[in-house]
Amino acid sequence: MDFAVDPADARFRDDLRALLDGTLPDWWRGMFVDDPRAIPFTREFCRALAAREWLTLAWPAEHGGAGASAWTQAVLREEMWAAEEPRGPQYMNLNYIGPLLMRYGTPTQRARFLPPMARGEVIWCQGFSEPDAGSDLASLRTRARLVEDHFLVDGTKIWTSYADAPADWCLLLARSELAADRHDGISVFLVDMTTPGISVRPIDTMAGPHEFNEVTFESVAVPRDCLLGEAGRGWELVAAGLTFERVGIARYARAARVLEHLVTHANESGQSRDPRVRARLAELRASCEAARLLAYRAVSLQARGVVPTVEASIARIHATRLEQEVGHAGLELLGPLGLLRSGDPVAPLAGEVQRHFVRNIPTTVAAGTLEIQKNIVARRGLGLPRET
Amino acid sequence: MDLTWSDEQEMLADAAAAFVRRECPPERVRAIEASDGGHDQPLWDAMAELGWCGLALPVEHGGSGRGVLEVTVLAEQLGRGAVPSPLLDSTALAALPIAWAGSDAQRARLLPALAAGRSIGTLAVLEPGMTDAWGDVSVPGGTRISGQKLLVPWAHVADVLLVASSSGLYLLEAARTAWDSVSHDAFAGEPLFAVTLLDACTEPLGSPERPAGPETTHRVLDTAAVVRLAYAVGAAEACLDLAVRHASQRVQFGRPIGTFQAVAHRCVDMRVEIDACRYLAFQAAWSLEREDRAAPLEVTAALTYARGALRRVFLDAHQVHGASGFSTESDLHLFTRRLTEFEITFASSRRHPDLLATAMGLS
Ligand SMILES: Cc1cc2nc3c(=O)[nH]c(=O)nc-3n(C[C@H](O)[C@H](O)[C@H](O)COP(=O)(O)OP(=O)(O)OC[C@H]3O[C@@H](n4cnc5c(N)ncnc54)[C@H](O)[C@@H]3O)c2cc1C
Repeated sequence: MDFAVDPADARFRDDLRALLDGTLPDWWRGMFVDDPRAIPFTREFCRALAAREWLTLAWPAEHGGAGASAWTQAVLREEMWAAEEPRGPQYMNLNYIGPLLMRYGTPTQRARFLPPMARGEVIWCQGFSEPDAGSDLASLRTRARLVEDHFLVDGTKIWTSYADAPADWCLLLARSELAADRHDGISVFLVDMTTPGISVRPIDTMAGPHEFNEVTFESVAVPRDCLLGEAGRGWELVAAGLTFERVGIARYARAARVLEHLVTHANESGQSRDPRVRARLAELRASCEAARLLAYRAVSLQARGVVPTVEASIARIHATRLEQEVGHAGLELLGPLGLLRSGDPVAPLAGEVQRHFVRNIPTTVAAGTLEIQKNIVARRGLGLPRET
Repeated sequence: MDLTWSDEQEMLADAAAAFVRRECPPERVRAIEASDGGHDQPLWDAMAELGWCGLALPVEHGGSGRGVLEVTVLAEQLGRGAVPSPLLDSTALAALPIAWAGSDAQRARLLPALAAGRSIGTLAVLEPGMTDAWGDVSVPGGTRISGQKLLVPWAHVADVLLVASSSGLYLLEAARTAWDSVSHDAFAGEPLFAVTLLDACTEPLGSPERPAGPETTHRVLDTAAVVRLAYAVGAAEACLDLAVRHASQRVQFGRPIGTFQAVAHRCVDMRVEIDACRYLAFQAAWSLEREDRAAPLEVTAALTYARGALRRVFLDAHQVHGASGFSTESDLHLFTRRLTEFEITFASSRRHPDLLATAMGLS
């Protein structure tokens, strides 16, 4: 066990902060805002990262990466998430869509899809959930029928983040065969979002645009060479992908950043001397530390080539609860003015706490709900019996 | 950065786990607790034989020169078995402080016996009216010392007694002076005593020119708290084991209760809290060992987090057990008592959240 931070990683963190200080515009509030400048900015920012070889830092050199350690990658993801993810949706490419391609893609697919990701030029979206298939993802109904040299896809996906960004590609889950076990017969497709037959309907959210879309597929022709992995064996890919996704976001880093700003506010408002405020903020700080270590455990396993399914769920259960608690504590601290959003000139902390609170209302739903994470840990981690 | 164990740490943990299973199953814990004095000499000798008393003591005094982190690795395994033993207190509350702050003569005189397990040490801190182990003590030091100390673990078998006084740490040796220990009636995991000192013969820990001051007392308490936290994490892990086993076997409404999500998810909550406490403890131990600047803060974060978290863990375990967990026929109480003791002696201090608050910038 070794808790030492590599001095090179510490320097990298300083460099990243300097870059963020120099490039993040004053108006930057993350990409889920009604501001036409936001998405172009994320693309520009990714190109700037790519130019420094910092975008696909931990990817192997053969796939356009810098071959950096999992820990350097962790620094990157912490600093990015703390700054409301100026990479926009690119984190998905880096953390799991790219690695899935490296693992399951053919050489041709890797050569075709990875380099644009490494250059930060493409936006991908994830087409998993459907109106009738949420937690019970295996009940999905989108169909892919093999017709000569391509698959014809029909169905509806929902809650698809970034599809209206617009996304260039979609990692799509569809049923290609009817099988006795419903986990069989599901396949993963790499779908060009400009293919005829695809329509995207944005769905507004409490937090702003781009978070949600409904994407319909009507007789969409997907070339056969855009099938990822074996036909009918997609479930295995999904499981691996979701684990990477769970380890891939440093949620605690944002919570810790908001907490820093709450400290400033408490000092300025004189609340810092209230023992209850001190105790509450200290408890949250300790909890951020725990969340970081739980994530680091999963990263340690990943660095050793293990897919840390249970550990990733444990880290996520902890971190999502923390994010929500920081939001609640923040609103309590701000009082009535906590209602004011970033557009209001007298909003405390420029509306940041309000945004954090609202954005985290569904944090225990996205990427597998809290209950589903707990089911995973109960069965796979603790060996408790299955429900019948 | 790597949060997996080294081969050496893994070997130590495995050896300790195997020892605990073989030598100290719950029946033996019960027998030791029911015995007069609650101290099992053969068990102590077996642990001394394995070199555990001197694990973190300097090689030149007969120890194996490992660090605080290794002591926490061992502590976790002892906690899993609720092993009643003065081993951890003797190490963290007496031997390590002597190694850190003792004079050359004190180190040479006391450490070899402590490292070999030929003598046992402990520390007296709390006094009547004190609500916090990290609070101000009033017993004054000198060459003679008088006063009352409470909740002193293992005072009845200790050969070396360190006493926290207002000016620092004082050293008493059973071979040179006497103290009076009266057993407390406590809901605890280990024997605790009220110690009365009446003009007892003492000397400051350290040389007369450089006696160990209150900052050493704080370092000792921080280290002891982290070692105890690791022991508590082990005890909490045992609670979870018992809960999972019970939930898998107990049938109600025609199925194992572990198939009810309300029960299963409670077990998962325990898993999350235990893991959080565990890595906080290891991180703090790692920093303490290096005397890292971050150490006091990491100790503080670990204890601030653990105090609520571990209580939730054992209460969840009780809930899963139904009435049977409240019965002393179940093993659960062996662990609950230890967790409670940890929580209210070492983790309850209001000092920790407040220090953390200051460190995070609250003015
Ligand atoms: C911000 C956000 C972004 C998202 N982005 C995407 C995206 O880009 N692509 C994509 O494919 N999806 C996306 N999703 C969808 C997300 O994956 C689903 O919301 C999630 O899997 C849950 O599905 P559901 O919303 O249909 O809820 P349901 O599955 O209907 O669940 C409703 C409630 O029932 C509970 N429940 C269901 N089954 C069980 C069970 N077996 N045991 C116990 N409780 C149960 C759930 O825990 C939950 O509390 C996103 C969601 C959010 C909130």
